[in-house]
Amino acid sequence: MLSSNAEKIYWLSRYIERAENTARLINVNFDLLLDIPHDHMSDIIHLVEITSDLEQFNQILIEQEMFYNASTSVMKNIVLDFVIYNRDNIGSISYSLEVAKMNARYLRTMLPKTAWEQFNNLHREFSLFDEKNHSSEVLQQLIRNSKTFFSTISDAMHRDHVFDFIKLGRFIERADMLSRIIEDQILRKDARIPKYYENLQWMSILKSINGFESFKKINKEELRRVNVLNFIFKLKEFPRSITFCINRLIAVSNYLPKSDDLEKKLVSLNKGISKINQKSTDKQLLKIIDAFQVDLIDLHLVIEKKFF
Amino acid sequence: MNKKLTYQSNGFFDEYITNNSFPRKGFKRSIGFFKSLTGSQKIYFKKLCESSISSMGVTFQLNAEELKDRLWPLDLIPRIISLNKWETIERGLSQRVNALNLFINDVYNKQEFLNKNPVLKDLILDSPNFLPECMGISPKNKVWSNICGTDLIRDHNGNFFVLEDNLRVPSGVAYMLENRNIMKRVIPELFNSYEVNPIDDYPSQLYQCLCDASFSTNQKKTIVVLTPGVFNSAYFEHSYLAQQMGVELVEASDLYVSRSGNVLMKTINGPKKIDVIYRRVDDIYLDPKTWLKNSTLGIQGIYKSWKSKKVAIVNAPGSGVADDKAVYAYVPKMIKFFLNERPIISQVKTYVCAIKKDLDYVLSNIDQLVLKPVNESGGYGILIGPQASKSELKEYKLKIINNPRNFVAQPLIKLSTAPTLIGKNIVPRHLDLRPFILSGKKSFVTKGGLTRVAMRKGSTIVNSSQGGGSKDTWIAD
Repeated sequence: MLSSNAEKIYWLSRYIERAENTARLINVNFDLLLDIPHDHMSDIIHLVEITSDLEQFNQILIEQEMFYNASTSVMKNIVLDFVIYNRDNIGSISYSLEVAKMNARYLRTMLPKTAWEQFNNLHREFSLFDEKNHSSEVLQQLIRNSKTFFSTISDAMHRDHVFDFIKLGRFIERADMLSRIIEDQILRKDARIPKYYENLQWMSILKSINGFESFKKINKEELRRVNVLNFIFKLKEFPRSITFCINRLIAVSNYLPKSDDLEKKLVSLNKGISKINQKSTDKQLLKIIDAFQVDLIDLHLVIEKKFF
Repeated sequence: MNKKLTYQSNGFFDEYITNNSFPRKGFKRSIGFFKSLTGSQKIYFKKLCESSISSMGVTFQLNAEELKDRLWPLDLIPRIISLNKWETIERGLSQRVNALNLFINDVYNKQEFLNKNPVLKDLILDSPNFLPECMGISPKNKVWSNICGTDLIRDHNGNFFVLEDNLRVPSGVAYMLENRNIMKRVIPELFNSYEVNPIDDYPSQLYQCLCDASFSTNQKKTIVVLTPGVFNSAYFEHSYLAQQMGVELVEASDLYVSRSGNVLMKTINGPKKIDVIYRRVDDIYLDPKTWLKNSTLGIQGIYKSWKSKKVAIVNAPGSGVADDKAVYAYVPKMIKFFLNERPIISQVKTYVCAIKKDLDYVLSNIDQLVLKPVNESGGYGILIGPQASKSELKEYKLKIINNPRNFVAQPLIKLSTAPTLIGKNIVPRHLDLRPFILSGKKSFVTKGGLTRVAMRKGSTIVNSSQGGGSKDTWIAD
C-alpha cells in the first residue's frame, strides 16, 4: 500500500469520526442546558472551549461587536454557527467534513463503492442544510450518516491495509475525544454548579457517547463519578470506552508491518489507564489524562514516521 | 413496418442510411429497434442510461476550477462498423504507428529521414516538442509511443481517413470501455442481436504492453500509473486504468530516485522499486532537474534513471515530437522510407505553411480550408474557413503570416453522420473515432475505439471538453 494513500485514508477516517463526535457533543450539551436552571452563558461558551479555539471565537465576537453580555439566545446562535458551520474554525464540523472530502477524492478506488457513495451522501446532505439551521436534526442526521458510513465499511470491505488504517484513524480519534470530554468535566467541577447538577452532567456525558443504557445495565444504583469513570475508561465491552479503543488499536497493529515503536506506545497507553482506581483524586486523574493525551500524540507520530 | 429513418442524409455520408434513407446492410436491426420505441420509451432508456453512468461513477471534469464532476455523455444508438472493414483499418493503424515509432527513434538517433527532408528537419529541431535531452536514447523495442490514440474520420463517400495521431498521452480509453458496459446494461436485447467483438481485454493488453517496455529482467515487473492528481480532467481514467490493471496509482510525491538511480515508491512496507511508469503527465513536467524547474508534478532525477534504463517511462519522453501536425503531413513518406510499404489508410491532404508553396496556397484559399495550430490538442485554436466570418479569416491570416511554422491547413472534409437521440428525436450528428494502438513486442489495436459525437446540429466539434458526446462502437459481422 502506498504511504500517501495510507495517510489519506487514516485522516479521512479521523475527520469523519471527529465530525460525528463533535455533533454528539453539541447535541448533548444543548440538551443539558435545558435542564440546568441557572444563567448558562458559561455553558454555552463551554462548547467552544471543548471543540475549538476560544481566542479565535473571541475574535469573531469582536468583529461582530458582540460581548459576553449579549443575550444567551443570541450567543447560542453565534456559538452554534461557529462550531457547526464556520470553515475557518478547524474544530467545526464543516471543517472536518471538508478535509475528509479532500482526502476522499483520492480514495474512490480504494473504498467499496457503497462506502464511497455513503460518504458522498453524508457530505451532500450536510451541505444542503441552510447555515442558519441549528436544529438537532442537522446533528442527528450527520451522526446517522457517519454510523452508516462506518458500518458499510465493516460490512462490505475487504480486510486489507486500507481497512486497518481506517480503524487506526477512527479509534485514535475516538480515544482522544473521550479523554477530552472527561478532562473537561473534571475541570468544570469547581464552578458554581450544585452537586445535583454534577450528576446530570455525568449523565449527559454518558448520553453523548451513547452509553447511558449500557451504563444502567451494569450500574443499577445511582450515577456516581467513580462508576462513570470506570465505565468510560475501563469497560472493555463498550465500544466507546477508552480501553475498547486501545484494544482495537492493538488488534489492528498486529495486521500492519511490524513496528516495535508502535507496540511500545500501545502498551504505554494501556499502562496509563490502568493507574486509575476508586481512590484517584481529580488532580491525579488530570495528570493521567494529560499523559494519556501526550501518548496519543506520540502514537500518531510513530504511525506517521513508520508508515506515511 | 417502414424501415426508413425519418431524416435525410443531406449530402453527408450517413453511416446508417443511404441517400434515399434506406438502412444500409447490417443496420436494419438497430434502426428497427430504435424506431419501434415510443417517445416515453426513449426517455425511459435515456434515464436508465444516465442512472447507470451515475452509479458507475463515469465522470469527467471540465477544468481544474470546476470541482464538480460531470456525468459522461453517451448516446444510446451504437455506431456499427463491419469486421471486414475494421480488419483493414487495424492493419493500417499498426503500420502507421510502427512507422511513426521508427521515425521518432530516427529523430533522436541517426536522423536519416530528417536529412532527406530538410524542411521537416528545420521544423523538428525548432519544435517545442523536440527534446534534445533524448538524443542517443533508444527505448525497448525502439518503441517511443507505446500507447497511441489515432483519430479517424469518414468522408462524404464513407472512406476512412486519419485525422491526427496522438502520441503523447492520449486519453479516452476508459470511456470506451465504460460505454460498452453501460450499453450491455441498458439495451442488452439489441446488443445480443449483433455479434459484437469484445473490447474488455484492453487493460490486460495494456499491462502486457507496459511489461514489454521494461529493460528489467525481473519476472514480475512493478508498474505504476503516474497521474498529475485528482484535479486533472482525466483523473477518472487514470484511476480506472490503475484499478483495472491492479497496479498503484501514484503522484510524483509518492516516488523518488535513490542514490543508485533506481526509482522507488513509498509504501507502508518501506521503499519499493519501480520498473515501469505509465505516466499521464506531460514531458516537460516529468523531471524538474532536466525540464520545467518549478514542476511539482515531476520527480527529481527521473530523466537520468530513464536514460540509464533503470526505469521505463511510457510513453517515452520526447515522443510528442511526432504529435506535431506538420509531422503528420510526412507520414506517408515515412511508411515508404522505414517500411517500404504503401499506406493502408489514407490521410487528409495537408498544407504545411512552413513550405512557401503551401503557404501561398493557404493564404489565397483560406476560406476553403480548415486551419490548425500545430501544437494544440482538444480542438483548440482551429478555424473552419468556410464557416468563419471575414474578420476572423483576416485575423487568422495575420497569425499565419507572423508565424507560418505554427500552422497547417487541410481541405474541409464533410464528416460522416450517424443517427443520434436528441430528446425524443432521432437526428443525424457528425462523429469521429479514436482507436487505441498498443506497441510492445507485438502491436495491438482496439476493436473499435471511442466514437465521439458533436451533439449540436451541424457542428463538427466532438471534444467532450467542448460539449461533445460519445457512442459505443460495435465491430460486428
